[in-house]
Amino acid sequence: MIVKSVVLACDPGRAFALFTEQAGLWWPAGRRHSKDANSTIRMEATGRFFERSKDGTEVELGVVRHFEPARRLLLDWYPGTGPENPSQVEITFEAADGGTRVTVRHRQGSAGTAAFEGNAPAYDRSWNQVLAAAASHR
Amino acid sequence: MNALDALGNPVRRKILIELRGAPMPVGALAQRFSISRPAVSRHLRVLQDAGLVLASERGTQNVYAIRVQGFRAVQEFIDSFWDVALSQLEQLAKP
Repeated sequence: MIVKSVVLACDPGRAFALFTEQAGLWWPAGRRHSKDANSTIRMEATGRFFERSKDGTEVELGVVRHFEPARRLLLDWYPGTGPENPSQVEITFEAADGGTRVTVRHRQGSAGTAAFEGNAPAYDRSWNQVLAAAASHR
Repeated sequence: MNALDALGNPVRRKILIELRGAPMPVGALAQRFSISRPAVSRHLRVLQDAGLVLASERGTQNVYAIRVQGFRAVQEFIDSFWDVALSQLEQLAKP
């Protein structure tokens, strides 16, 4: 699992709105499905998580599993592994000194990895994380 | 096929788990699976192309082993996405 965290200089409501409604403004340009650096990307309460490029083409980037404004977002994430093997991204928004702490937890697969990790010999940290996570796909 | 796509297949994940225990030739590996040896070889080729396993010749056969750097690359790919994303989000949020 990858965990990243940042403090944004705004309240949790605005942080959540920026994240979900304006994802086209923060999504890395070189990592877009459309190759259009100005594409629109949105995560909606309806469950849609998609990218729309200039010509109007829409592509699903995943599914919104949980949409709780100003608090928590849970996404099935297709980029990288496709809809058959989505990874999972959980984003939490918490009031913090100076604004809002946004924490991203990105996991491969959906099932628990604890059993596998418990039996795995210590090998290499990144190897363990990625393979243990991948092994939880069933 | 890239490393993430290669990891999307359950047989290939099981191969990686077996190889993590110890490097082994395709024959020894195939005994642990119900699929044919040629099928195991095909999966090994995909894993090799994706940079997740290494083959080295030992006598007349290839011995397959995990390539740790390949996994690091997968991790770094996801890692760098969020580094860039969150730093851009930070800029956006500034009043």
